[in-house]
Amino acid sequence: MSPRLEAEHLFKVFGRRPDDAVERLRRGADRAELRADGATAAVIDASFRVEAGEIFVVMGLSGSGKSTLLRMLNGLLEPTAGSVRFDGQDLTALGDRELRALRSRKISMVFQHFALFPHRSVRDNAAYGLEVQGVPRAERERRADEALALCGLAGWETSWPDELSGGMQQRVGLARALATDADLLLMDESFSALDPLIRRDMQDQLLQLQKTLKKTIVFITHDLNEAMRLGDRVAVMRDGRIVQTGTAEDILLRPENDYVASFIQDVDRSRVLTAGALMDTSVTADAPLCGCETATPETPFTRLCAIGARLSHRVSVLDEAGRVVGVVPRRRLLGFLGDETAAPVACDNPEGKVISHA
Amino acid sequence: MPRIPLGDWVDSGVDWLVAHLSWLFDAVKAVMEGMYDGIDTVLAAPQPLLMAGILAVVAWWLRGLLAGVLAFAGFALVDSLDLWDRAMSTLALVLVATVIALVISLPLGIWAARSKTVSAAVRPVLDLLQTMPSMVLLIPAMLFFGLGTAAGVVATLIFALAPGVRMTELGIRQVDAELVEAAEAFGTTPRDILWRVQLPLALPTIMAGVNQVIMLGLSMVVIAGMVGTGGLGGAVNEAIGQLDIGYGFEAGVGIVVLAIYLDRVTGALGTQLSPLGRRAAAKTRTRAWSYRPRPAVALAGVVVLALVAGGLGVFGPSAGTSEASGTDVGKGQEIRIGYIPWDEGIASTFLWKEILRERGFKVSTTQYTAGPLYTGLATGQLDFQTDSWLPTTHAEYWKKYGGQLDDLGKWYGPTSLELSVPSYVKDVNSLADLKEHASEFDGKIIGIEPSAGMMSLLKSTVLKKYRLEGTYDVVDGSTPAMLAELKRAYARHQPVLVTLWSPHWAYSDYDLKKLEDPEGAWGKGDGVHTLARKGFTADNPLVGRWLKDFSMTEEQLTGLEARIQKAGKGKEQDAVRDWLRDHPGLVDKWASVAKDGPHSEAAG
Repeated sequence: MSPRLEAEHLFKVFGRRPDDAVERLRRGADRAELRADGATAAVIDASFRVEAGEIFVVMGLSGSGKSTLLRMLNGLLEPTAGSVRFDGQDLTALGDRELRALRSRKISMVFQHFALFPHRSVRDNAAYGLEVQGVPRAERERRADEALALCGLAGWETSWPDELSGGMQQRVGLARALATDADLLLMDESFSALDPLIRRDMQDQLLQLQKTLKKTIVFITHDLNEAMRLGDRVAVMRDGRIVQTGTAEDILLRPENDYVASFIQDVDRSRVLTAGALMDTSVTADAPLCGCETATPETPFTRLCAIGARLSHRVSVLDEAGRVVGVVPRRRLLGFLGDETAAPVACDNPEGKVISHA
Repeated sequence: MPRIPLGDWVDSGVDWLVAHLSWLFDAVKAVMEGMYDGIDTVLAAPQPLLMAGILAVVAWWLRGLLAGVLAFAGFALVDSLDLWDRAMSTLALVLVATVIALVISLPLGIWAARSKTVSAAVRPVLDLLQTMPSMVLLIPAMLFFGLGTAAGVVATLIFALAPGVRMTELGIRQVDAELVEAAEAFGTTPRDILWRVQLPLALPTIMAGVNQVIMLGLSMVVIAGMVGTGGLGGAVNEAIGQLDIGYGFEAGVGIVVLAIYLDRVTGALGTQLSPLGRRAAAKTRTRAWSYRPRPAVALAGVVVLALVAGGLGVFGPSAGTSEASGTDVGKGQEIRIGYIPWDEGIASTFLWKEILRERGFKVSTTQYTAGPLYTGLATGQLDFQTDSWLPTTHAEYWKKYGGQLDDLGKWYGPTSLELSVPSYVKDVNSLADLKEHASEFDGKIIGIEPSAGMMSLLKSTVLKKYRLEGTYDVVDGSTPAMLAELKRAYARHQPVLVTLWSPHWAYSDYDLKKLEDPEGAWGKGDGVHTLARKGFTADNPLVGRWLKDFSMTEEQLTGLEARIQKAGKGKEQDAVRDWLRDHPGLVDKWASVAKDGPHSEAAG
């Protein structure tokens, strides 16, 4: 099955003689060199695939080109080179009219600062995409109300955007995007402008919705914790290039280079890592050897520690069929917590005598 | 530096336009005048107080009860000042100019907002339109459109366009880029982005622009009055021209009432039209005195008043028609006279208005300054004028327009031009004495309009002949300003040196001394001539002959002038009628029909 969305060797250069600039970038020129000549390379040779029903997070600091990348996925910006395929259709080959039709039916977008229309009621905002499609008023209001209810805004339909809190406004933004039944949801730093507590709320709600809706989502963020929480897969961008693509654990456990490594330093690993990522897969069995408590590959790190503390031996990790797919020794838990991967050093007092009493 | 002949290029450009694009200007003119006539008819049809009621209901609906009451009071005041018709025609003029300005400036502003190139190209043009002194553009506008409403509308337009374009562009550019992007992201077409997102959100700014357009338009009505649009602007011009402070103030108050009304109403309309403004207004409005009727109620009120008004206006008594008689040779034919507000001009113009009226013509008289008057005559907008000082004073005009005019001959003369001082200035009796007394007069000669023929004569010949160049500066100004300066200096017993001419009423009001002209620099005296447009005498042979034969004695002219001066502003016609009643036979002498009748009309 081909991926729902596929980007191949995307380039976006602003400024003078963009095609030349792409040529030079392909030959290995760097960003600073181009800037001297008046061209700004926003996205350089970006390739990735997003499967249907997946949340794909693009993460990078501001100026890394992630918003530009997002806007090439729905044709708001035309790539300087490369192609974007959505459902097997090459967006770069489409004319304005077809592109607009695609945007109104198949792709919707949620913005950083909500971008709600202040002169429209909450309901009219949510119904905007349907209005553009030409859906009759009664139907579009029904569908807008459904989308609002889905986002927890039932009863607010006749309010005005400026009467709502930030979190509620972004729910309207989300409802507007969901109301059109688009398959692909582009979210541009959608939760970055919210307070941390509300941001977490919104992330939970998005994950909750995603369980039933199974949209294909491309989510842009500069917040690594958010990326780890939401992303089935994460692409890390730096200076216009995608430096690593992989699952949250891939990024955390196997950073491709120093940049990614330094980036993930501050991440609270205990929230992200699961037994599946930590376990020693060299030990497997058809069934556990004892009746002690066990974990699953999805068990988060903190719960794993709790189980480990209650057991006298390593924790077995079982799959759905009850087979042992790996084990987690206690030392491994400590090692990950302390970012230590080296083998333990030998002790000079192997008998383990007590050295002193308190 | 080589001299760049910019002025010549402009001259020939204007000539080319007049010669080749007159069909276009005529079409534009027809549209403007049609709109103006339509709106003016509607506004002037109802009884003044009913119309005031309608306007008050609109204010009530948009702003509340207090605004409605004040609006009614303001318009009632205008009516009581006898300025109602003038106010309505000014209102019509401003509305026409505003509508046209918006039709041009809104699309232009939208276009400029969407394209940097257009914006950059439009901006200097707007700067030019807004800052170029209006009279500089007014004269070409007159050449294109002739005197009257169209030129006035154009003058107003030129000035009022800029804020419309600027505010529209600004309003659209100010719309949050993320909102526009959001609309794009949902597949909105560019046209729908404009209509559904940009225009609604830019509306408050655009309405501020509309408000500015109207206010600037209103501020231009006085300038527009100079090209004969009439209305309050015309009233102000007449008042200024005749130094009638009271009348000028009244007309000014009329303009102020209109300005405040239009400002407040359009301001409120902006809030009403924009969804955001409407919501904000709804939140704050609670008190009783600011209760406003719902739009439906207001509309019903306006319609009811309008129906009553329409009934009275349309079916009411129409203006009395002139009685038919044996001397009715005009048969209601229209004759348009233009005049400069000089005393002999006013006297002879109203004299002929009365004579022609008695002969069954329909006569309109409009006041102009000299430049527009000659232009209007040369382009056939006016039929004749009676106050041309030839061959000297108006020589410049005659040189430029003489080919397009018919000289119907001198009816009074000789006149004289002079520099005068109050007679208490003892040792200055001749132009030759001036050189030594420059310090006494501060080296200043108080002049009149720089466009006046005598001013160029003074600067080019008189100063040279008496070697006064360098010692004296000629202060350009206006006749009223010169007279005001004379009055001020006279009251304080200070020396003052002014340009004057005879006959002039100043010589009877003040004790003045005409400076002798031993060198004959001022030339021989002028005659006061009647000039007609080319073809007028062919169209109206009888009137042409009357005008050619017309002449007045000094005693008759000064007598009539004095009568008019005494009667006061606005009563010129009555004064002329009284004077003619005291001098029976003059009408028959000057406009003889009994003797010659239709027989000679054919011969003439």
